[in-house]
Amino acid sequence: MCIEIVNKLSGIRMLFAAIALLGASGTSVASENPDANQILRSAIDNWRGITSVSEMTMTINRPTWQRAMSLKAWTQGDKFSLVRLTAPVKDAGASTLINDKQMWSYAPKINRIIKIPASMMGQSWMGSDFSNKDIGRSTEILEQYNHTLLRSVQSEGHQVHTIVSIPHEDSPVVWGKEVLMIRDDYVILEHQYWDQDGVLVKRLKTMEVSEMGGRIIARRVRMSKLEEPEHWTEVLHHYVEFDVALPPHTFTLSNLRNPR
Amino acid sequence: MSALTKQASGAGLASLSVMAWRNLWRNYRRTGIMIMAISIGVWAMIFMSALMRGMVEDILQRGVQQLPGHVQLHHPDYPDDPSVVNSLPENVVQAGIAEAGEAVSRWYARIKVPAIIASERESRGLVLLGVDPLAEHADIFANAQLLEGEFLNDPEDQGIVIGERLSDRLETRLGKRVVVMSQNPQNDIVERGLRVSGIYQAEFRGQEERYAYMSKNTLQSLLEIDGQVSEVAIFGQDYRDLSELLSGLQSTFDSNTGMKPEAWNEVNPYLGGAVRLMDGFVLFFIVIIFLALSFGLANTLVMAVFERVREIGLMLALGMRPGMVLGQIMIESVYLLGLGLALGNLLAWLSVVSIADGVDISAVAEGLEMAGMGTVLYPLMLSKDVISANVIVIVMGAIVSFMPAWHAAHYDPIRALTKPT
Repeated sequence: MCIEIVNKLSGIRMLFAAIALLGASGTSVASENPDANQILRSAIDNWRGITSVSEMTMTINRPTWQRAMSLKAWTQGDKFSLVRLTAPVKDAGASTLINDKQMWSYAPKINRIIKIPASMMGQSWMGSDFSNKDIGRSTEILEQYNHTLLRSVQSEGHQVHTIVSIPHEDSPVVWGKEVLMIRDDYVILEHQYWDQDGVLVKRLKTMEVSEMGGRIIARRVRMSKLEEPEHWTEVLHHYVEFDVALPPHTFTLSNLRNPR
Repeated sequence: MSALTKQASGAGLASLSVMAWRNLWRNYRRTGIMIMAISIGVWAMIFMSALMRGMVEDILQRGVQQLPGHVQLHHPDYPDDPSVVNSLPENVVQAGIAEAGEAVSRWYARIKVPAIIASERESRGLVLLGVDPLAEHADIFANAQLLEGEFLNDPEDQGIVIGERLSDRLETRLGKRVVVMSQNPQNDIVERGLRVSGIYQAEFRGQEERYAYMSKNTLQSLLEIDGQVSEVAIFGQDYRDLSELLSGLQSTFDSNTGMKPEAWNEVNPYLGGAVRLMDGFVLFFIVIIFLALSFGLANTLVMAVFERVREIGLMLALGMRPGMVLGQIMIESVYLLGLGLALGNLLAWLSVVSIADGVDISAVAEGLEMAGMGTVLYPLMLSKDVISANVIVIVMGAIVSFMPAWHAAHYDPIRALTKPT
């Protein structure tokens, strides 16, 4: 069992965030040399309130095996998400609902909804390299870290900002620092997690950027653990739609159990 | 007339004693061997029970220290569900204990909740203890030592003290940040980062992974339970006699607060059971050793009687009453037992004194740890064990030797005298 305690912009949330942010990019690209907080703040502000529906494939890779599953996800702002497995058949229907800091999981085989307790937050989500915590986290990244803009370089026609985020003394973050590489259109290209001794432990990297649902998004992202070669989880988006009118019951426990 | 008889029997007893004493040394080798056998048996009884008593005492003292407290106070539901929901308000506890008065020698309140601790690479479940560092320091470090860093300095300290093994498992170390996670009374997840301010090593290595120490106020604010505690440890004068303390606390707490004071042997029934088990076990042990010994004793006396059949016949023929023959042989065996006991007690006392500073048994430390014992065994010689060993040997020895003595006293003098040798 390996824990990943990461901030809001990570894990599946980060995927959702990345998806949502990108579409909004045109509206508020900041000034020539924006500061780090501003980049993150406008990224979050742009995302707040936006809904999305997406379909994706998650591939879990291990040295001796590989497995893929299909997911469907609904998000609304930075507080609500619902993820449901659609394939393989034996796992289909398994879902996770996130409502701010709380998280529930539904297992169709036993027809039970479980509220994920603190003790399970460190466990892997559906056997992937993302932990429950990666997925459930929605506290404010702005409040728990000190952000500094390390550099902004021109690359492939875009300005890429490198932001170093150092958690506050009492933040519930185990990392020594996190490094984010964000393009000027708010595509997060890379998110690195460094331990407190300055060793890079894991990395969420955008493998493919493309336009989907009318926005530019990180289409294929991969979370890899650098200390365990061949351990990675990749998420590939097949379909994304933004600003969908979601019915008010989308993020409820009843919808978690009985999809309507 | 009656005075005369008494005088005669008094003189008889004196001469019987002399004869018994001399008879004892007619075959000094046999007597010597028998005395050795008895004394080694008695030594084994006393010495082994001293070791066992020492072991139990050790388990008890450590157990009571670790609970901690002679009496503990919990929310009635806490033992079944040790969550923050089942907490006690600190001010009520304080008032109640003040009412209990002199019987309480010292006390402290702590928070004890299940939690998760995480580093960059690992996470583990453990029990988080929110303690008042100043009040508890001595008890915490009775069975542990600080390996690195320092212990929490005050109730506001923002650090966490973890065990050495936990720090290895988490791949963290002194000065690095870890994250602790638990639940607040609304069952929402609460969490924060803390710096490892100290690493301790416990005598029982398993504890190092089970307990981490935080300052009380820091943990209270994390769990959002200001002014609440989950466990109160109360110490009386002597953990063996808690009736006064317990009844005092029960009358204050039970009636108006529903809090439940429990003595150490209720909080940890294993400890309470260990004492009762040992009491029974020591007695069994003494009896078993004696059973083995009794065959040797009976054999010696039977042989002593058979060898002297003709002699006893002569004494009977000369007018010695059967009762006196019986008495003489009984006195003989009591001498034998007495000598053996004296030597055995001396041996046992010498061996207990020689290891009074403790026996190092760290070679089997892991097994001992499971039983809650330390690696040094201190023997504990209780007068009740010594007395029961001696009484059992004398009484049962007398019963065993009665059979050959009775047999000898009822010989027919003519047959005994003419018995071919």
